[in-house]
Amino acid sequence: MGRYIIRRVIGFIPVLFIVALFTFVLVRAIPGGPFDYAGDKALPPQVVANIEAKYHLDWPTHMQFLSYLLGDDIMGLVFGGVYAETAGDSRGLIRGDLGPSLRYRNQTINEIVAVSFPISIQLGILALIIGLAIGLPMGIIAALRQNTWIDYSATFIAVLGVSIPSMVIGPILIWLVAVMAGWLPAATWGTKPPFILGFLPSNLDWNFWSHAIMPSFALGTGMSGGISRLTRASLLQVVREDYIRTARAKGLRERVVIVTHALKNSLIPVITILGPMFAAVVTGTFIIEQIFGIPGMGKHFVTSIGNRDYPLIMGVTLIYTVLLVIANLFVDIAYAWLDPRIRYD
Amino acid sequence: MALLIVASMVLTACGTTPAVETVIVEIGGETVVVTATPETPFVPKVLNLNWGAEPPTADPALATDTTSVDLDGQLFMGLTNFNTEGEVIPWLATDWSVSADGLTWTFNMRSNIPWVQYNTATATVDLVYDADGNQRFVNAHDVEYATKRTIDPETGSNYAYVLYIIKNAQAVNEGEEGVTVDDIGVAAIDDFTVEFTIESPAGYFPAIAGMWIAAPVPGWVIDRPDVGVKWTEPGTIVTNGPYVMTEWIHGSELKLAKNPHWPDADTVDIDEIHGVIIVEDSTAFAMYENGELHTADVPQAEIDRVKADPVLSKEFTSVTRACTYFYGMTNNKPPMDDVRVRQAFSMTVDKQSLVDNVTKGGQIPAAFFAAPGIFGRPDDDLGIGLEFDPAAANALLDEYLAEKGITREDLDITLMHNTSEGHANIAAAIQQFWLDNLGVSVNVENQEWGVYLDTIRNVTPLDEMPHIWRLGWCADYPDENNWVYEVFNADAGANRLRRGCVDDVCTEVVLAEFDNITEQAKAEQDPAVRKELYTEAERLLSEVEAAYIPIYYYTFVNVTKLELTRDFSTVGHNHWYWWTLD
Repeated sequence: MGRYIIRRVIGFIPVLFIVALFTFVLVRAIPGGPFDYAGDKALPPQVVANIEAKYHLDWPTHMQFLSYLLGDDIMGLVFGGVYAETAGDSRGLIRGDLGPSLRYRNQTINEIVAVSFPISIQLGILALIIGLAIGLPMGIIAALRQNTWIDYSATFIAVLGVSIPSMVIGPILIWLVAVMAGWLPAATWGTKPPFILGFLPSNLDWNFWSHAIMPSFALGTGMSGGISRLTRASLLQVVREDYIRTARAKGLRERVVIVTHALKNSLIPVITILGPMFAAVVTGTFIIEQIFGIPGMGKHFVTSIGNRDYPLIMGVTLIYTVLLVIANLFVDIAYAWLDPRIRYD
Repeated sequence: MALLIVASMVLTACGTTPAVETVIVEIGGETVVVTATPETPFVPKVLNLNWGAEPPTADPALATDTTSVDLDGQLFMGLTNFNTEGEVIPWLATDWSVSADGLTWTFNMRSNIPWVQYNTATATVDLVYDADGNQRFVNAHDVEYATKRTIDPETGSNYAYVLYIIKNAQAVNEGEEGVTVDDIGVAAIDDFTVEFTIESPAGYFPAIAGMWIAAPVPGWVIDRPDVGVKWTEPGTIVTNGPYVMTEWIHGSELKLAKNPHWPDADTVDIDEIHGVIIVEDSTAFAMYENGELHTADVPQAEIDRVKADPVLSKEFTSVTRACTYFYGMTNNKPPMDDVRVRQAFSMTVDKQSLVDNVTKGGQIPAAFFAAPGIFGRPDDDLGIGLEFDPAAANALLDEYLAEKGITREDLDITLMHNTSEGHANIAAAIQQFWLDNLGVSVNVENQEWGVYLDTIRNVTPLDEMPHIWRLGWCADYPDENNWVYEVFNADAGANRLRRGCVDDVCTEVVLAEFDNITEQAKAEQDPAVRKELYTEAERLLSEVEAAYIPIYYYTFVNVTKLELTRDFSTVGHNHWYWWTLD
């Protein structure tokens, strides 16, 4: 298993390189640049050229990519000339430098990520817990009581959860719970940097929870529907397997049959979707962040494109990629634990 | 008995500790000093508002958007400021004068504005001293430094072009050989007198000299290699305005506190400003309704409800802004290359119906370009601009169609706007006006903002250009030069309308009377003559050439809690230091 993991981790490198290369080229292919305009005003070409030169956007694209990847000091050593004059601006992706923001010109991408990513992680994890806490039991009960009123109610709730988008649930919650009842603050997030270990909230008081309840719920219920439907379908399939019949034939109690034999196996499809789902929610959700005014990272996936903030687009895309491949690795490891027939070495 | 009581308050910057009140009582010539702990602890007046977006920068040289400009306006004093009516008033400068040829402007400055720095550890606002231990006051050298820094191409300032009126500024910014930043026409005559030399006479120059891009900045901090672009962070940033920056959690919140060392601090009523950064209008509006904000913009979908609500309707205001919403027409693309067609389209937009039924925010239908409050703007009662007149419009269009031997169905006209629900609603309404009033069906298309601005440049091949496209324009400084000249002049302006283009993509232009008049008005020194010239220019462009369609003047559509007394700045930054909170 250890060698398998090492092999997989080494395999991340070409994946990241290809994602970086494609993103780098694609974002520069969009018409319009980051400094073409201010508000409704188009800026004079010379002014635009001055700013672009400052960020090396006047270099050939492949040189910009190398600089992004390796850093300006290595560029200067290898290519000399104009590339040596600006040595020191970028330290390169290989040393963890995601570059300067073109939109927020006094901030680097690393700084933007350091304040926004932890909040998305906090919200994402809370939402995932809510999603699992509602979705799993609902799916299991629905499967065990198949075609009863419990099953139909659970299905109905799950379909509601899947089909009502968070952009509807969010404003309704704000209107009912904050504006009408006045129980919770309408928006914003209840903790701020510095974070414990770089991502955990420094205060777990009422201020934190009062801000977290509504967005976590709005995000979590959406997930719970999918989890519940998948758990039900998978469990229904597993309980018809031969080894379940064997377990029953051995005279095991129904509880043991379900919990020890059926449930564990039926979780494989659920775990499969949990990997990408985890990567998606902890990197932030644009709509929930927008509606609840939460300063997370999700908004950068959308707004950085409109702003043509190339390094920010790169940064959030790469972070998402890293999380996705890691989450999928964990999913694969979990398979081996859930199903004894799966072995990797 | 003569009794004189002098009370002074010593406030800490963030106001969390109680104020100490010292009372000097003078009774019959004898002075008694009494220091008493006040009965009630000092409670700071806190204004809660929404920035609306993360300010892209706090560096005045880099700021272009309203959020950054609002922030810089509280932190840095420009030479001049605008009052609520949009008139130029003294701010850092006490007075100014211009030479007889109109080319040299001399500003006398206040000598008592200290540089201050917020200390994040002690939560106090500290004075700033130089290496010799002398207190630093804002002086003319700071203004010279800031102006040159904005123009210096190394700085990469987006708004540098607004300062091109200053001598050699354009040459330096464009990197011409033989000129350096030392050749830029700004110089400190003495510590508190600064002199600008400009390229051509410009009566509006005091407004430009007061803009944020020329506001004094602390060069000795900015030039420190260990600080670099991070000089705008709380604790590092050195400022001179009515407020100091105390906390900035990027993307989340930005807080300001009153600067107690500012000479006019007594006149500032609000002690602290707590600004959240919420982009979504409807969320900020919910926070307002929940009592978390003192003022908020009203989302378009909520306007009807707000107007009908007994409480909210009292808090609702709609104030005209110095911004104009207009439809440009591509003047060299058939059929828009014929003035009769342009006039016909212009005369069939029912602007009153549009603002009443679609935008609903109290916008004012626009007959010509410059918004109210702009110097040189024609008087409204002159009736300049084309009226809504479907009959006359149809006659003009019939004449054109007969001449070309085509019918209305042969017209294939595209209207484009940048992707947004608001713009789409307006476009849908205007599309219907043209169908109903002119019998012409236009295609509506939209593009993402960055792509859109790329499309509607005047170098885009003509067959890729839409015939009609929307844009807005807001004042940088309240003068017609910033409007008709910088936007529409075929030679010097952006000329997206492609007026007078010899070829498809405007490599060369033929100037019309409008272009000559706006050029002349720019240099004219007599305000009355300038206004006459601009009045004529506006008439030519909107009526005779009908080169574009003015639609409406924007408004601030706002709710404000009754305890907050505020003004609305038509140009420049919001004056939070003038607002009061009961």
